[in-house]
Amino acid sequence: MNKKKIVLAEDNSTLSLLLKFRLEKEGYELLMAVDGKQAIELIEEHNPDLILTDIMMPYISGLEVISHVRNKLDLKVPIIVFSAAGQEEMVLKAFNLGANDFMGKPFSPNELVIRVKRLLN
Amino acid sequence: MNKFQYFLEYYNGEPLIIQLVWMVSCFLFLTVIILIIYLKFLRVRLRENEKITEKYTKDYELLLITYLYAETDENGVSLERQSVINELEKGIENTFKRKIIVATFLKLGNEITGEMAESIHHLYSQTKLKKYALSKLKNRNWYIIARGIRELTLFHVKDAHDQVVKHVNHSRREVRKEVQLYLVNLFHFEGLNFLDDLQTPLSEWDQIQLLEELQKMEDQQIPDISLWLKSTNKYVVIFALKLAEIYNQFGMKDVLIELISHKDKKVRLELIPVLSHLHVIEAKEIFKNNFNESSKDEQIEFFKLLENLIEPSDEPFIIEHIYNENFEVKYSALKLLKVLNTTKFENLELTPPESDFVKIVEFIKNY
Repeated sequence: MNKKKIVLAEDNSTLSLLLKFRLEKEGYELLMAVDGKQAIELIEEHNPDLILTDIMMPYISGLEVISHVRNKLDLKVPIIVFSAAGQEEMVLKAFNLGANDFMGKPFSPNELVIRVKRLLN
Repeated sequence: MNKFQYFLEYYNGEPLIIQLVWMVSCFLFLTVIILIIYLKFLRVRLRENEKITEKYTKDYELLLITYLYAETDENGVSLERQSVINELEKGIENTFKRKIIVATFLKLGNEITGEMAESIHHLYSQTKLKKYALSKLKNRNWYIIARGIRELTLFHVKDAHDQVVKHVNHSRREVRKEVQLYLVNLFHFEGLNFLDDLQTPLSEWDQIQLLEELQKMEDQQIPDISLWLKSTNKYVVIFALKLAEIYNQFGMKDVLIELISHKDKKVRLELIPVLSHLHVIEAKEIFKNNFNESSKDEQIEFFKLLENLIEPSDEPFIIEHIYNENFEVKYSALKLLKVLNTTKFENLELTPPESDFVKIVEFIKNY
């Protein structure tokens, strides 16, 4: 059976590694990006089943990634955004651009897995 | 060789000023060359350091994740976890690696909550990192003490309480701030007990930070603040007044009334809005009796209180002050008169027509 693909765009390498291990344990294939530019390349190349993206990232922000996916690539793939405290306005913008869910940092990795499962099943 | 000989002859034949210019030029040229070499060396060294840091960060990230996902028995112990701890202990002995380990722990610890965040705190306490942080508290340099306390706060090391609290009256504000944040972050409202012993100032910014931390707490049960309201440290009293206002301490009415005669003007000024917020009507008569002895600022604050706690019985006092020499008191008194007795306000004698008094009345009429 083909594993479901998830693109994870996060510039905190430790958090990325933690989520990669956790989600791979749940049977997903993780494609890692350290910035928005890499995330867009991975999305265009692999057509993932879910996108997890941080809002604040170098080069291209999470908001631009969402906008690219929804407006340029015209994909309906579910998107979960991560945001730090005090970025409420950014979260609203993310929802307006087409994000499906958000998690405020710091968050529980177990809760993230539940949300991922909910969106993928 | 001939060219050099020619240059020497030329140099010796030139006037002193030209020789001097040559010397300065040569000196500057050499300095620039040395600086370029030094910068190149620094750049190479920084890049090497960056590479080493990156390598160690990756290694320690992997170790940390291995620890977090290791299978454990009922007591949270496992061979895999122990081997990670042993590996980390080797790195902790080295200052450079220790900094990378702490940074790696924090990098993840700040982004996650729940069991995994607790596991990171547990791992920190199990290794010698805690010992090193505690040793910082005994350092002679204030900034190292502050850094040590900050680390203990970030890793939730509660059992360092006694060592941390010793610095509550440290001569440096930065250390005191870290102590206060440690206590409030880890012990919540109970942590405020440091106010009992605080003899140093508590700045406005420190107070705001403490209140912000307290408001994040789930349990909003505030302890008895009456002792702090009676403190000999005026900063503690001012902070307690803020607590009384934010947490609606209606039970503190009697202690608050006693503060009306506090010797410090700043305390008295901070007190009035709190009395107004808590509707301590009994305070009004005391203020009215002492009105003429009060400072201008207190008089203005008292009229702001009256705007909130106005009663018909206040009318004679208000009429007494509609001609007060202070603009704000006069304006407030006229506004209150309009609320209490519109007829009397409408029938005020408006002479001379160009006076400030008439202008204020006209303004309030049309407001």
